[in-house]
Amino acid sequence: MLKILACLVIVSAGGICGMLVARGYSLRPVELRSLKSALQMLETEITYAATPLAEALGLVAERTDYRLAPLFEETRQELLSMSGCTAKEAWEKALLKFYPRSSLVGCDISILRSLGGALGISDSSGQSKHLKLAMEQIGAELEKAEADALQHVKLWNYLGFLGGLVIVLIFY
Amino acid sequence: MSSAVHSLDNCRVTMKPSPWQEVMPALPASIRRIITGLPPDILEKLEEIRLRQNRPLILGLSGGDILPGINGKPAVESRDWYLVTADDIQRVTQLISGCSLYAFGDELKNGFITLPGGHRVGLTGKAVLENGRVRTLKYISGLNIRISREVKGAASSLLPFIIDQRSGSVLNTLLFSPPRCGKTTMLRDIIRQLSNGIPELNFRGVVVSVVDERSELAGCWQGIPQREVGIRTDVLDGCRKAEGMFMLLRSMAPRVIATDEIGTDEDFAALEGVFNAGVKVLTTVHAASLAELNRRPALRNLLNMKVIERFVLLGRSKNVGTIEEIIDGRTMLPLPGKEVEQCLKYLPAL
Repeated sequence: MLKILACLVIVSAGGICGMLVARGYSLRPVELRSLKSALQMLETEITYAATPLAEALGLVAERTDYRLAPLFEETRQELLSMSGCTAKEAWEKALLKFYPRSSLVGCDISILRSLGGALGISDSSGQSKHLKLAMEQIGAELEKAEADALQHVKLWNYLGFLGGLVIVLIFY
Repeated sequence: MSSAVHSLDNCRVTMKPSPWQEVMPALPASIRRIITGLPPDILEKLEEIRLRQNRPLILGLSGGDILPGINGKPAVESRDWYLVTADDIQRVTQLISGCSLYAFGDELKNGFITLPGGHRVGLTGKAVLENGRVRTLKYISGLNIRISREVKGAASSLLPFIIDQRSGSVLNTLLFSPPRCGKTTMLRDIIRQLSNGIPELNFRGVVVSVVDERSELAGCWQGIPQREVGIRTDVLDGCRKAEGMFMLLRSMAPRVIATDEIGTDEDFAALEGVFNAGVKVLTTVHAASLAELNRRPALRNLLNMKVIERFVLLGRSKNVGTIEEIIDGRTMLPLPGKEVEQCLKYLPAL
């Protein structure tokens, strides 16, 4: 009885692990898509309305996906704290907090990091160019992430359970 | 900078930050530390903070300037000076614009950005030209943060000479002086008192409209004046003077229109229009004497029109904002009389 229970635990643990990895693959395209539209919103606020950065970030945080909102909101709060930090530093600080909670990977974060270095330091055409570049790069990552998701989500879902089963078979 | 709040039993007293404290958020932590470390008597006299890349930080005080050291004390030896770095300049440039340089295209073109509270930051660097006109500034390497002060009562001694006490109307007045002599502070107090009314002079408040192109007079933040400009004062913030004067004339039915630092031909042309509309004008201009005013063609035209009734020369002979001379616009001679002498002796604490 105990053996059967242990087997069940191992199989379900393997399954859960597999599902968690698969979830990362399936969430990344969702977050990248939301990120792209959030940057589009930011570009509109900056280039058409010339909204000050803190206010623009707040507006984007209100309208964007709840998973991404903290990145924009925390940058806004840091800018409003009058601590003397620049937009790059505020963005970097928010990014460090946001990264572990997100499904984004290193190359996505690199794109965001280089965008942070350009935020607020040029005229609106300069800002537009930087934001468009970031959106294009995110678009390219999104395509890769969608292909990855297609390939890996099912794989990891099965792999988790099967891995659990293999362990059970070896030790049973 | 948040204002300090003290609770006293049931009353709440809100202490406004000092003018120098209002500009601190525009400075990076390193420079902020140096300035806040200075003795309070120096800080209260602070008028300018000048930052030039790779050169020492210079603080302009009412009685000269000082070069502070890293330890926050005035430094005598050059090795103790705090040298402004490229990073400092970049940070200040970002902080004064709220990390939103894109929102300050026109201001950069004119070479200054105004901070909340009406403090003006002048910028120098490399001008980028388009069709022979400045499009923007790049490689910003020098900044001058001018701390604006609000001195209530600064204009009290001058007011009897710019109000016609028989008819109860305001006289067209031009305040002139070289830079840093308190023109804006004086004009702001004149506006406040004319708008609120002056019981001592039996003068009831009048509607004053202000075109505050550089946000220095009223220090508007999101359209709301942060400086006391009076209860009957309407402020058009950030608008070009020439355009703004006509807008206010048509829409706000003012008795007095006030504007700071007229200088372009367009401004003078607009002023002529206002004079012909029966509205009184209060304005300021950069010049050290009447002769200098006369040498500028557009101003000469204005003088020839004989519409300005009072010319007031400000200076620093006794203190910032010393009223050096009050000139009658018709005779172009200094006003005579004991009262004028008394006014000239007055020492405003600008």
